Amino acid sequence: MKKIVKLFIMAMMMISVVACSGGNNLSEEVKNTDNPVSSVINVYTRDASSGTREAFEKAIGLEEGSLTDKASEVSSNGDMATKVGLDVNGIGYASMTTQFEANGVKPLKFEGVEASIETVLDGSYKMQRPFNYVTRAAHDYISTDMEELVSAFIAYITESVEGLSVIEGAGGIVDYTNAKPWEDIAVNYPVLNQDNSGLTIRTGGSTSVEKCIKAALEAFKPLAGNVNFAMNQTGSGDGPKRTIGEEKDGANAVEIGFASRDFKDSEGVDGSNAAYGSFCKDAVVAIVNVNNPIENISADSLKAIYNGTLTSFEDIK
Amino acid sequence: MIADKKYIKRSKSFDRFFEYFFMAMAMLSASFIVIIVLFVFTKGISPFMKNYEYGQVNLFEFLTGNVYRQDMQIYGVGFIIINTLISSFLSLLISFPISVLTALFITKIAPKQLSGIMQSVIELLASVPSIVYGVFGSGVITVFVMKLSNLFGVTTFGGSSLLSVVLLLSIMIFPTLTSMSITAIKAVDIDLEKASLALGATKMQTNFNIVLKAAKSGIFAGAILGLGRAFGEATAVAMVAGNKLFGPTFNPFDITRTLTSTMLAGLKETTGLDYDIRFSIGLVLIVVIFTSNALLNYAKKKVGNMS
Repeated sequence: MKKIVKLFIMAMMMISVVACSGGNNLSEEVKNTDNPVSSVINVYTRDASSGTREAFEKAIGLEEGSLTDKASEVSSNGDMATKVGLDVNGIGYASMTTQFEANGVKPLKFEGVEASIETVLDGSYKMQRPFNYVTRAAHDYISTDMEELVSAFIAYITESVEGLSVIEGAGGIVDYTNAKPWEDIAVNYPVLNQDNSGLTIRTGGSTSVEKCIKAALEAFKPLAGNVNFAMNQTGSGDGPKRTIGEEKDGANAVEIGFASRDFKDSEGVDGSNAAYGSFCKDAVVAIVNVNNPIENISADSLKAIYNGTLTSFEDIK
Repeated sequence: MIADKKYIKRSKSFDRFFEYFFMAMAMLSASFIVIIVLFVFTKGISPFMKNYEYGQVNLFEFLTGNVYRQDMQIYGVGFIIINTLISSFLSLLISFPISVLTALFITKIAPKQLSGIMQSVIELLASVPSIVYGVFGSGVITVFVMKLSNLFGVTTFGGSSLLSVVLLLSIMIFPTLTSMSITAIKAVDIDLEKASLALGATKMQTNFNIVLKAAKSGIFAGAILGLGRAFGEATAVAMVAGNKLFGPTFNPFDITRTLTSTMLAGLKETTGLDYDIRFSIGLVLIVVIFTSNALLNYAKKKVGNMS
């Protein structure tokens, strides 16, 4: 019996020693890890319902279903950056607005082009996605005032210099080419001059647009008779679903739905009666650990990595 | 006298009222389990029905498949069930001896003050939310596992691995196991111990041969509860599991996928079959938990009857 007790105590001590040695090393040095055991590539991807993943796979030309089995799925842009920041052999992708340096990851050039606002807008940086909106169908609003307010807001975020600059400030990539001053647009919407504090614009859909739209709504509020807003961003799929789809009259119904990708045919967004369009762009960036020497990557290499034919960093051309 | 009778009558009807009131409350809370199971069940079996709107899924392939690929519309959870069983039972294996010995120490060996402090520490551990364990897991445990794997010369996905899941789960179920064991050990008749001591057994002999044996049924109940938590834990596990696309995973340094992490991943952004299938996985999880609980309860009875 004594022997058993001794054994148990020894085992416990060993466990605690091991656990402590793990805990003490949680410092900077850990983030940008030790020598890679080999230059094997660890592929990180998002779950299949992610808009970022869709944008990425489309940009590198990865056919649906050809992703390598060896990939690890992560849950968000932040999660992606954390995991790749911890894994010197990792490669992943994230939205351009993600914190790269703080997480110990390095954004890669794509086809020799660095991701920036200029390169996204002029189209030379190819790995990008649109942020789209869709409103309720015409006359399917609680009041005509609400309908006008919604179209005023859409005009604000798509056409006005002020609205675009707010979205830009929140991380969106916008195009000022056809923008007009807000005053010129506001005259078309007399509803803006009355007190709208009794009305609430509800938004839903993509979580990726949340930052941009929140900033835009906050700026829009004083311009529109203090109209209220309620945001319930749950994912791109819910954008069309809750404006014109099956949940449009449910408890989750919204006035404007957003998607951080092109609308799918199955979602019924065809402009036949509900307004839709794009208000800004976001870029997806391939990322590696800061200690990884590579700087540039081509669509072909990324495709080969993600379909499993390229498994070592040395083989990247 | 009349006043007394009136009073008795009133207090009786008062009593009756509360009886019904409490009964209604009990019915309400009990009906939730029915509602939840019914909802999950109807939603969960819908993909296997003939007239399912997104195309019928083969139940047999779903239950035995070893590939889970949303992008290819291949949903096989066979390997995920095995993964879940492996990670949960391994974590129980690690946590069980530690918890039982901790409980023994707290109740029988530690001085009174220390045991009080220890007990509140255990209770605190039990009340830590799982997301906090998850953050700890992805910040500390994965780093530790990564270092360990480098020692062995293996690459890991930044430490996300089966081993990380097991270590994290064993920490998470430890408080449940320990507090159940404490209760069980405290319930052991003091006379049994005294008899053992009087017969000349040492304190340690008494603790192991008498106390633990007498408390084993309660300790086993703790193990069942702990296992339930290990099966059902989603948030923290999803943060260190890595979500492998095929399996099952036996290598402790390889990434894994559990039933809960599968249900959680991308739940908010998805629609159609991919959404409904999560209810089917939930159903599978419920069945797995029920069966393993039933098996363990059976084992508990066997263990309890042994002398």
